[in-house]
Amino acid sequence: MADPVFRVSELLAVLNQTLEYAYPSVTVEGEIASYKISKGKYVFFDIKDEQGVVPCFMMVYSLRQPLEDGMMVRLTGQPRVTAWGKFSITVRQVAPIGEGSLKRSFDVLHAALLKEGLFNAERKRTLPVMPKAIGLITSAESAGYADFIKILNHRFGGVDVQVANVHVQGAHAAPQIINALQYFNQQDSPPDIIVIIRGGGSAEDLAVFNDEPLVRAVAASRAPTVVGVGHETDTSLCDLAADVRAATPSNAAQIVVPDRHAFIAHTAQSQKSLYNYITAHIADVNKIASQARVRMATDLQAAIAAYGNRLMSARRLLAQCDPKAALQRGYALVQTVSGKSVTTAADTKPGDMLTITLARAILNVEVRYVKSSKR
Amino acid sequence: MSKVAKDKPTLAQQMQQLDDTLAWFEQPNIDIDEAYKKYEQGIALAESIQEQLTAMQNKVTILRQKFDQDA
Repeated sequence: MADPVFRVSELLAVLNQTLEYAYPSVTVEGEIASYKISKGKYVFFDIKDEQGVVPCFMMVYSLRQPLEDGMMVRLTGQPRVTAWGKFSITVRQVAPIGEGSLKRSFDVLHAALLKEGLFNAERKRTLPVMPKAIGLITSAESAGYADFIKILNHRFGGVDVQVANVHVQGAHAAPQIINALQYFNQQDSPPDIIVIIRGGGSAEDLAVFNDEPLVRAVAASRAPTVVGVGHETDTSLCDLAADVRAATPSNAAQIVVPDRHAFIAHTAQSQKSLYNYITAHIADVNKIASQARVRMATDLQAAIAAYGNRLMSARRLLAQCDPKAALQRGYALVQTVSGKSVTTAADTKPGDMLTITLARAILNVEVRYVKSSKR
Repeated sequence: MSKVAKDKPTLAQQMQQLDDTLAWFEQPNIDIDEAYKKYEQGIALAESIQEQLTAMQNKVTILRQKFDQDA
């Protein structure tokens, strides 16, 4: 059978069909070279290794992290032959790999977003102290999730936690997390805090949190955000864009709710303070009352003593005026028979009968003579 | 945030009430009868707060939806 004869465009079509059939998608690792963006829309670069070069093409909106010549990347795309007979990969997604490239990509984006003001301290909102609703974005199968929930439940209660179960690494992670953020922010009643967590991992795993659209989505969140990714020393751009950065998922749980045990201790202390206040006041009142009692007692005693003295003086005085006392002293009471006292010469005359009362006797006598004496 | 405010004060409000009661005792020349009333109210409030804090639980729900449309 003779070889089929193609027209040029037919050849290209057949080749592309074959490629589509055999390699609908390829994933390639290599170094970026000749990187350029044309008209702000079209991205062109070569991916190469020591012995080969393949041109690549993509749209700028598919770029999620900055790329530069010299970066090692892993990309996924569809190989094809262009109308000009050029072999090219149409890239669907591309990400830096290897710590060096990841760091460079991070630095470029960090500088750009910093300049935009996305990380400014003034943008950070304070978190409510006792949130009633939390939106949690994480992988529900991860240890980070388990740690967060365990510490949250131990620390506090009364919180309604909705969990958006997403990938936290790989190519699907960033879009899923963005969707989850949108979901929570578009609820009629968005949560009081949105928390995004994932545990430790390699630099590539954590690179998800340097994805530009994701970082922007975190910065734009209506609800305040807490991001806790990796270990203490890992800082991603999402961390910087969030309202509060948590060092780890466990730390995130400590940040979003207070510690009920501390509150319980505080209330116990308040009870002690109340008790101290009231006993101090009772002691005060008692002191005032007993001081008053002592004063009253002293005053009363003094008054009684004073009256006692007056009484004694009065008695003495009275005793002195008692006619019986005079009689005891030898004086006599002289009276007429009608009982009238005789004190002057005019009160009697010779021949009158008088009664003389002595201390222990009564005499009935007749007057013999009367003589007046002037004293 | 969208719930209608209930008559029962929130935990945060109750804790503020307790702090206010303590502050009341700091003023000079307080009446002993009033003080005893405040004391009893404060002790009861503190106990209630402690019970609530101990009993409070969280409700954790894993949402059913998938979030994997391209963003």
